Parts: sequence; C-alpha cells; structure tokens
Amino acid sequence: MAGSRISEQLPPLIDRNQSPLAFGQRALPRLAAELQNPELTVRQGALAALRDLIHDPERAYETIYHGCLERLKVLLKDEDSSIRTATTEVLYLLTAHSVGREAILREDVVGCLSELLDEPVDACRRNTHLVLKMMSGFPAGVACMVSLGLVPRLVMKVAAETEDIRELVLSTLGSCMRVDTQAAQAALASDVVTVLREQLTHSSTNIRREATAAMIAISVPPQGKVKVCEEEVLPVLVQLLSDEDLEIKANAAGTIMNTAVITKGKFQSLQAGALAPLLHLVECEHRAVCANALRALTCLAEVPRAREQLLQHLPLLQTRLNHPEPIIQRASATAIQVISWTP
Amino acid sequence: MASPLQPYNQAPNGAYVFSSRPRPAPTRLKYKNPAVIQNEESYVYGNIMYDRRVVRGNTYAPHTLPLRSQPDPAELQKQQEARRRALARKRAKEQFRLLTPEAVEGRKHTDVQTELYLEELSDHPEDASVGCQTDAFLDKPATPLFIPAKSGKDVATQIEEGELFHFDTEVQPVLEVLIGKTMEQALLEVLEEEELASLRAQQRAFQELRNAEIVEVQRLEEQERRHREEKIRRLKQQREVLENERVIAEKIAARVFAQQYLADLLPSVYNTLRDQGYFYDPVQRDIETGFLPWLMAEVDSALEKREIVLTMLDTLIYDVANSRQETWKDPLPLLVTPEI
Repeated sequence: MAGSRISEQLPPLIDRNQSPLAFGQRALPRLAAELQNPELTVRQGALAALRDLIHDPERAYETIYHGCLERLKVLLKDEDSSIRTATTEVLYLLTAHSVGREAILREDVVGCLSELLDEPVDACRRNTHLVLKMMSGFPAGVACMVSLGLVPRLVMKVAAETEDIRELVLSTLGSCMRVDTQAAQAALASDVVTVLREQLTHSSTNIRREATAAMIAISVPPQGKVKVCEEEVLPVLVQLLSDEDLEIKANAAGTIMNTAVITKGKFQSLQAGALAPLLHLVECEHRAVCANALRALTCLAEVPRAREQLLQHLPLLQTRLNHPEPIIQRASATAIQVISWTP
Repeated sequence: MASPLQPYNQAPNGAYVFSSRPRPAPTRLKYKNPAVIQNEESYVYGNIMYDRRVVRGNTYAPHTLPLRSQPDPAELQKQQEARRRALARKRAKEQFRLLTPEAVEGRKHTDVQTELYLEELSDHPEDASVGCQTDAFLDKPATPLFIPAKSGKDVATQIEEGELFHFDTEVQPVLEVLIGKTMEQALLEVLEEEELASLRAQQRAFQELRNAEIVEVQRLEEQERRHREEKIRRLKQQREVLENERVIAEKIAARVFAQQYLADLLPSVYNTLRDQGYFYDPVQRDIETGFLPWLMAEVDSALEKREIVLTMLDTLIYDVANSRQETWKDPLPLLVTPEI
C-alpha cells in the first residue's frame, strides 16, 4: 500500500507531450541530445520538458553547463514555427536567472534573436520581445543590443507591431535608453521622439504608460531635451497630466520636469500651460507623481514670470514639507527656495 | 591401447617363474658372424664398461637409442599382432588364389571377359538418382477450438464491501501526495511571481527616486551653467566698455596733439607758397608770359630778317667781286660794265 511520505519527484508522466526525464544528472544531457534529434516530435517533447525544468535555478545552471544554448541557437532557425516559439519561451524563462542572462550574452544569442524580429508567427515574436525586454534591464545587455544595431530596428518596429507586442517594444526601448547613453543617441538618430509622440495619444493605457516611460528616459540626455522641444511634444504631455492612470501622470510630469531644465523647454511648457495641472498634481498621494510635479515646478520657477504666479501658491507647497517621504520633503523645500529667490 | 597382460605363470610351489629368463644383452662382435654364435647357444658376455649401448657421462644431452635395443613390451605386442594379421591375410589370399590349377609351362593365365559386350569393371556400383516430392500442403481449415469437456465443480466467490480494503483510509495517502504536490507546485509558482513583483516594485521605486534626483542635478547644473554664462557675458561687457573708454581717451589725446602740432602749419604754408611764387598778379603774369615773349619773338624775327638781308648783300658783293676779278684777269677789252 502507498506510504504517506511525499516524494521529492513529481509523478513521471504528467504531460503526454513532454519527453520523460531521465533520473538525476542524466536528465539534462539526455534532453540536450534529444534537442538535436531530427524527429520533430522528439524535439518538441524535449523543449516542453525543458520549459518546465528551467524554472528551477539549479536546472538552469545545468542547462547552460551542458551547452544547451548552442542547440537552442540552432533550433531558433528551425523551420517549424512551434519549435521556434517553444525555443524562445525557453530562452525567456532562462533570462529570469542571472546565469542565464550572462550565458545569453556570452553565446551571442541576441544576434540570432534579432533575426526573429520579422517572424510571421505572433507568439514567437512576442517571446522574442520578452527576451529582449529582459536583456535590456542591465548595462551589459544594452551594450550588446546597441552594438548589434537593434535600437533603430526596435524604433521602427514600434509603429508596425500589434498592441501587446508594441507594449513590450516600448518598454524595451525605455529601459535601453535609461541604462545606456549610447542607446539614447542611437535612438535619437532614428527619430524616436516622433514615434513616441504618436504613441502618446494611443487609446490603450498600457501603451501610453510605456510610451511616457520611454519619453522620460529620452528626455534625460541634453540632445533628447532639445528634440522634445523641437517636436512640440510638450502640449501633448500637458494633456496627459490630466490622464486617469497615475503612472502616466507621473511619467508625463517627469518628462516635463526633464525638459524644463533647458530654457526653451521652460518657455514652451509655460506656453502650453503646464503650471495649473502641475499644481494640481502636487496634492496627489502617489509618491512619484508628487515628486515629479514638485521638481517640474522647481524647474519652471526659474522663469520670473512663472515665479510670480507660483508665489501665490506657496502655502500649498509648504503643506508638502511634512510628508513622510524624504524625497518629497526635499523636493518641496527646493521648490520653495527657488520660488522665493530674488536676484 | 590393448596391452594384454603377460600370462601370469605360476610354478606349482607358488614361486614366481619367468616367462622369459633374464639374460645379459648380447654384445656385438666385431669380427665373428653373429649367426654362428647363436647356433652355438653360448652367451658371450661383454664388459659393460666398454659397451656402446650403455649411456655414460652427461645425462643432460639427449642420447639416441642404439640400433639393437630391447623393444617395449607394448611395441612387441603390436608387432606380434601385425604379424598375425599379415599372416591371416596371406592365408586368405592363398585360399582365393589356389582355385584354378597352375598354368602349364609356356602358358600364362589371364583374366578375360567372355560377354558379348565388354563392360568396364570398377569398384563403383552403378547408381541412379530418383527424386520424389510430396504435394504442397493444402490449406487446412482452422482447427476447431478445443474445449475440453467440463469436469469438476463450479465454485463462486463474492467480495463484499469492506473485505479487501477500506477505500477511504487507503486513498488518504494517495490523495495527500496528489494534492500536496499540486499545492507545492502552485506555491512555487506564486512565490516566483511574488518575487518578480517585489523586484519590479523595488526597481520602480528606485527609478522614481533616480528620476527625481537626476532632474534636480540637471536643474542645478543648468542653473550653474546659466549663472556662469551670465557672469562671463557681464565680464565681457564690462571689458568692452573699458576698452571703449580707453579708445575714446586715446582719440581725444591724439586729436589735441594733432591740433597743437598743426597750429602754425597754415602761416608757414602760406609763406612757403608765397615764396615759391604761387601768389601772383594775373596781369603782370599775363604780360610776362604772353606779351613779352611775343615781343621778343618779333624782335627776334626782325633781327633775323635783317641778318638775312645783310647776308644776301654780302653774297652779292662777293659774287660781284668775283666776277669783277675774272673780268680783270681777261686781257680783252677793258670794259667796265658794272653789271648791276
């Protein structure tokens, strides 16, 4: 009769499509060998098994150790689309571990992935973009992507892709530009500001959020600020300040605050009437919204005309001084200081 | 190997008796005929020290048996057997052979075939091969199922509800494993997602802080830059103003100096001009330049005319004088006709 101790192993044949796992250390070498098998069903089974295994970090390390990445690279070019989809999913799960990310950089898998950007199958493209999104989270990955010239391609893909994939592309671009200045230069060279401006008015909240996040990243370097002023993005941003989603508001305020550092940006923001919404946002409880709004007001307050107007609203800012978050306290203190400055 | 035992001879009194009495090996005599010696039946003893058949000295080197050695008892038996068989064969042959009488002198018996047709005599008997093949198996109909006749008694058993096992208690561990594993898996997945979510939240918080701080830094930088530029501009302006003032002062000084220097320029200039005759009376000048030269020219021409006339007169006189002279040279009439 069955004992009541739960074994460490899962029952052997849960999913019919998965190839059975060998015991202990033999599991991964066997899977690696199966990945090269010319039979389609065998490869699919192996990929399905790998997909379930790779959630475990130890198994992920073993996979890399046994050189499965080489096989996966070969499989990326396979003719069958289900194999490609499964391979990209496995790669996505691998990027969740840092050994996986390092291995992907080392084996130059990103180059092979970039060929899949034009893939007709949606699921495969989605997974590819997921992988790229994960890889854009850290400097070495972004450096790799920039060197492969992926940033201009991604900029072009923004307009061309379907909605959910567009989100991923936008977030990838945002992280790239945030992490590495070279990526920002490359993106600016491919007119990313124009592309982003179109996305700012999209109906889907997620896309707007990602677009504004990318905007805030691109407005950090000085050329970005100039471009933002040139492309007349500020009126759109001022509109977005009244959007429903908190993150979008925060990002819009952030972009305004970045752009208002340069003189041209200040004047354009004032022309677009940014003061009133920003004052409204200062009262918001969300930390990012409040902080960004305060900083934006600080930048705008360097213009004498704006200072006059803001002097009337000093009490509002002073209420913010007692906020528990240190960042908001500092921001409000700086704002008050700048507004009350006289030459 | 059949080695029939020697017949065991027993003497009547039980003592052992040799079947062949031991005797010394006969020596080989060099100079005497051995047949002669055997007929005599006297044994010639030799000195074993000088017997060639005795192996002396080194026993390591192989030595071959000398020619006439005592044969092995087994060998002996075999040879006896062989002799007996040969003898038997010979007797058999003899029996066959001696059916026909011997040939008369001068004639010879030969074997001859007296049949009509000669046939080859050989040891091989004639043989002929004959083949035989059974019919192929026809399709057999399936053998009917062999159901042996029923024998014995029928017996039945019925298992009641709780007799073999009690389901509820037995299923407990199985259920535990199944549900436990499922829960474990689900928990793992939820944990993973939670981990990811908390990582994201942390990232986001960091990003917000970073953004705010970056913008502050940039704003201050910008401010600094503006102030610095303003300062530079003002300094430049100031410098320009100073420069202008300096230039103006220089100009004024230069002008004053120039004025002074050129104060008495005018009188001296006038004096010089007057000295050089640039101020003149026009009538006087006119007379001087126009009238007097003309006058002189006229005078000149008049004088010239006079001179011409005088010269002409001189020439005339000269000519006349010359001709007069010639006339005077001529001894002809003394006519003096002045040809005037």
